[in-house]
Amino acid sequence: MNYPDVSRPFTSERAALRRAVHRGAAIAGLCMLSVLPVSDVDIPATQFSLSLVNAGWAQPVELSALDNLTRGDELLLRGSYLGAIEAFNSVREDAWREQAALGLSKAMAITGQYDQAIAAVRARVRDPADSPLAATQLAELYRMTGRSAEAQELLAEVVAGQINPPVRTLVQYGLVLDLRGELDEAAVQYNAALARYDSGLVFDSADVGMVALAAWKRDEFHDANALFAEAVRLDSNNLEALTLWGDLFQEKFNDADAETNYNLALTINRRYSPALTGMARISSPERYLAMSLEVNSRDVAALETYGLLMVRNYQQDVGRDYLDQALAVNPESVTALSSLAALAAINDDMPAFDALLERVNAFSPESSEFFAGVADYLGNNYRFTEAVGYARRAIARDPNNWHAHTVLGGNLVRLGEEVEGKQHLEMAFDNDPFNVMTSNMLQVFDVLEGYATLETEHFRVNMSHRDAQVLWPYMAPLLEESWRTLVEKYQFEPEVPVLIQVFERTEDFAVRSVGLPDIGPLVGICFGKVVTLISPDTLSANWQEILWHELVHVFTLQMTQNRMPRWLSEGISTWEERQARPEWGRRLGLELVRAVEQEQLLPVSNLNEGFTGANSNADLSFAYFQSYLVVEYIVEQYGFAKLRELILEYAHIRDESEMFANVFEMDMVSFDNGFRDWIRQRVDQINVYVHVEDSDDEGAGHGHGVRENNSAVLAELYNNESLKRHMRGRVEQQPRDFQAHLQLGIVLFREAAYDEAIFHLQTAQGILPDYSGYPSPSLVLSQIYEAQGNNEAMMEQLAIMLQNQQHDYASALKLAKAALAAGDTEQADYYLSRALAVDPYQPEIHRSGAQLAQQLGDTGRAVQEFEVLVMLDQSDPVDARTNLAGAYLDNQQLDQARLTVLRALETAPGYQRAQDILLRAVERSNQSSEVISQP
Amino acid sequence: MMRSYQLLVVSMLVWCGSVLAQTEQQVIQSGSGSEDTPWFQQTPENNKFALIIVGASANDEIRVRLRGWATDLHASLLEDYGYASDAIELLIDDGSNVGNAASIVSGGSRVADIDAAIARIRSSSEAGDQLTVFLFGHGSSTFGDAKFNNVGPDMTGAELADMLSPLTGIDMVIFNTTSASFEFSRELSGLGRVVVSATRSAAERYDPLFGGFLVAALQQKRADIDRNARVSVLEAFNYASGQVAQWYRDQDRLSTENAVLDDSGDGLFSREPGTGQPDGLLAEIAYLNVISAGTQKTSAEALRLYAEMQSIEREIFILRNQKVNYLEEDYWNRLEALLIDLATRTRRYNELP
Repeated sequence: MNYPDVSRPFTSERAALRRAVHRGAAIAGLCMLSVLPVSDVDIPATQFSLSLVNAGWAQPVELSALDNLTRGDELLLRGSYLGAIEAFNSVREDAWREQAALGLSKAMAITGQYDQAIAAVRARVRDPADSPLAATQLAELYRMTGRSAEAQELLAEVVAGQINPPVRTLVQYGLVLDLRGELDEAAVQYNAALARYDSGLVFDSADVGMVALAAWKRDEFHDANALFAEAVRLDSNNLEALTLWGDLFQEKFNDADAETNYNLALTINRRYSPALTGMARISSPERYLAMSLEVNSRDVAALETYGLLMVRNYQQDVGRDYLDQALAVNPESVTALSSLAALAAINDDMPAFDALLERVNAFSPESSEFFAGVADYLGNNYRFTEAVGYARRAIARDPNNWHAHTVLGGNLVRLGEEVEGKQHLEMAFDNDPFNVMTSNMLQVFDVLEGYATLETEHFRVNMSHRDAQVLWPYMAPLLEESWRTLVEKYQFEPEVPVLIQVFERTEDFAVRSVGLPDIGPLVGICFGKVVTLISPDTLSANWQEILWHELVHVFTLQMTQNRMPRWLSEGISTWEERQARPEWGRRLGLELVRAVEQEQLLPVSNLNEGFTGANSNADLSFAYFQSYLVVEYIVEQYGFAKLRELILEYAHIRDESEMFANVFEMDMVSFDNGFRDWIRQRVDQINVYVHVEDSDDEGAGHGHGVRENNSAVLAELYNNESLKRHMRGRVEQQPRDFQAHLQLGIVLFREAAYDEAIFHLQTAQGILPDYSGYPSPSLVLSQIYEAQGNNEAMMEQLAIMLQNQQHDYASALKLAKAALAAGDTEQADYYLSRALAVDPYQPEIHRSGAQLAQQLGDTGRAVQEFEVLVMLDQSDPVDARTNLAGAYLDNQQLDQARLTVLRALETAPGYQRAQDILLRAVERSNQSSEVISQP
Repeated sequence: MMRSYQLLVVSMLVWCGSVLAQTEQQVIQSGSGSEDTPWFQQTPENNKFALIIVGASANDEIRVRLRGWATDLHASLLEDYGYASDAIELLIDDGSNVGNAASIVSGGSRVADIDAAIARIRSSSEAGDQLTVFLFGHGSSTFGDAKFNNVGPDMTGAELADMLSPLTGIDMVIFNTTSASFEFSRELSGLGRVVVSATRSAAERYDPLFGGFLVAALQQKRADIDRNARVSVLEAFNYASGQVAQWYRDQDRLSTENAVLDDSGDGLFSREPGTGQPDGLLAEIAYLNVISAGTQKTSAEALRLYAEMQSIEREIFILRNQKVNYLEEDYWNRLEALLIDLATRTRRYNELP
């Protein structure tokens, strides 16, 4: 990247002249006929002419060459580019022509007039060695416009022809050599610039900025930082240094300092394109890029950035257009070529990829930056295996491409190849410790080292030791259940072992998944062979549902080599939730009716946009919901076999419309029409009235977790006549207004008007019997019955609620305890499992579980429950250990009984219950020994 | 000095082994050398007193809360710990307008009232008795002057220390549950005293939850972790501070209070007192229970067994306190042997008349 040098060359002579000119002109202009001497005007030896303004005659002031140069520089600095061009063009004197040409060239370049910029400066370059600055400027323009070979030739001449080539020349030469893949030679130039600085021969702010750039290119980031600071200190108006410094910060993920720098530059010159483009990479991208392109519609960096933005937002065609525009200006833009190649690779268009590679090879054989860019994009789009391949090529070309090492390491980890992945990340970190992503990912390895590794037949799981104790007993059977179920259903066996990593801290989960500590509302991610999850100890949602959802992804992604579109993958995983357990998954209710009434449904062909274009959690949640609806439609109308057939289509490289035609024998428009008809039928069946004033009815979350009914929650806060009046009016007008009935029920409950409350709540319940939001009619009814002392009715309503509410462990526990008390062990077992599916970290659940185990005489289960309680129940460890020891004893685990009770007695030697267990354990051990030893 | 103090305390533990092995209902027989024990000797001849001070409250809600704690504590000391009603001084606010607590309130909690209450305790007590002081309310610690907020002029830690200083020979436990209690509590630190502070620095100036959890720990002897039917100061401290920490974890909040304990008299408080730590040895044997003479088995074998049980328990405590000096396997083998021995004798003892 080349930035026009708009720093002002500053000499004391010119400063004095400028002051003199301004004062003289002002005074003369005001007092044109005055003959009074002006003693503070410093009249240097250099002659200059000055024409005075005669206000009476209104003749324009003609400024000298120096004036125009100065003015031009000032205008260029402040962003008045046309004015600057005019000023530079006004310079006639030969002595100043080269400087004027440089200024003119820079002003033209920054406004996208590259040909003119080249022409302006080329005329000054007869012998490059004699005009190093002009030649360097010309070379920068050549590089900017894809003529790197000519740039290289020019700069080589300058460097060869000068004993001490300008610092700028050395660094720009290095950049060109870098671009053309001559890495060692580039290093020589950078080192020469650094050596010049070390010798104390670099004074100028612009030159110090170039030395900083050289240090950056040599991976000497601390030095680069210090040098940029020095450059700016020498001249706070050095926009190039300010912006390059910001770029350095941004490369190291320090957006805060980058933004500061860009803003400083923009304060000086709000039309400075490099700073505008830099800001676009931090925030408000479209706004800043628009501003940048307004200044220069041919700004390659802005066009590249815009193109990348569109591509990442899945607007490939728009993105391609911008990238093509960038290439039209600079056919050697590695960023643009790499991005287009990545798109070709994603779409499996290898001829297009090869053509782009050939273009790169013409000027930079096997460019490391090219392959690293392709790898990065592929990795971010779930094509991890291919990403690894391209990252390896990048490193083969340039082993010092630390970014490529990070990309390789990160993608190897996503494939479960952790040892090699870690090696590359460590290498990257050792050489570039500023890369936040690298250091974050390595820190997670440290976390994982302290984790336990557990295995089942098909899964390998990393989790904390606490989770290993508490969660694993319930996770292990679920994993194998999912394997059996899904293998049979999808007739496909994924590669084993499937690696699952359960993180206690959300930040570790996020970093492991995407390299940075914020991942938004996601709670689980599947990479095909690897699944990452947040521990249930940190969540407040049904972890089993989440786990099952991610495991389905393992199947569908591997079935399609990660080519499945996101909408279908999420749709299937969401649909499978309810197939696994009737209380899991989404419901067709208010959300569906509202979506239809507000025409929120996207065409099936655009469903991925629902994810990429999501601006809020609510948007994202709806994207999941609609995807699930499509899958539900497919299975209901066409059968599961057709769904499986569609999945397998994605394993091939085909247009999506062709896939749908192959499976459903119709085009996507017809399919979409069928889907909408089906939706309308469903809406008619549901037959519920949705009022426009009601807000999110079933939660705005991603889908896992209690879905708060915001309108009903608000009703709990208000208890007034106006609300009741309003809602009564609503139900009078629309008897099937579910929300109105629910809110009335809530308000009346709070007023203890139970009979009327019950009426409205039962009405609401009848309208939407499978409502899963919170609070629900059944929940409020249970509270009413509890207040009335009607325990049986309360329990009945809780049971109804739990048919559709999978995230409430407290109600499940209540039902479990009631069942235990009634001696209904089957029910108790069921509700305890429901509670454990949400929060296995509640000691109360395990106490009830232990009680159930004892009632059933299931000594093994009792042991499991008491083992967990020892971990969870820290308030009375003596009792917890004594209970566990007793369970071990009952389960004939005599050694464990003995060792556990010893630990209890260590704290409480006089505890007679524990003493008794100890003696029994010892006695039984002795009896066993006697039996063994007898002939 | 620290080391010699610790050795002294260990020795004390040896002699106090006889005390630790008993249940509340049994007559405590003096172990050999127990007359040498300087602090917290547990005999039926020793009286126990409690001084509960409730200071001025910032608002009604806090007033209700603090009074609730104080009255619950008063009831628990009577019901669970065997205190005589006239051995408990309950001082609240200005002593009037105390609602349902009127029958149990001794007076106000002004400085003069506190002084008077301590004087009454002094006149009723003698060397070897035990006084436990509970402070509920607000504290402050600014400009180097730590205070308890009373009705009227606030009381400093130094002032309370002065009031308590005449109670020579009396074992003392002080629970200061106020905000910014640390500097105040430090003024009360002394040899042979156990001082608990709800906060560990003057910066912890929000009203702590520790007081409520302390009362909960004492009620129904919830904190009796070692199942000896008594609650030691260490057990109460561990239970309450554990509950405090759990509360903040459940609320997903950073803790604004950290309880600490000092029983070595050096004015340095520990967050996790206990075995192997500078603090905790005295707190472990400082019980709140009133020891009463109860029924005792009279057979010769029972008496012999009982003495043996005491001796074994003593050995267990010594071994436990020396845990770091053993290899793990060796430690558990030794401990197991002792515990089996103790359990066997206990079982036989229970069978005897």
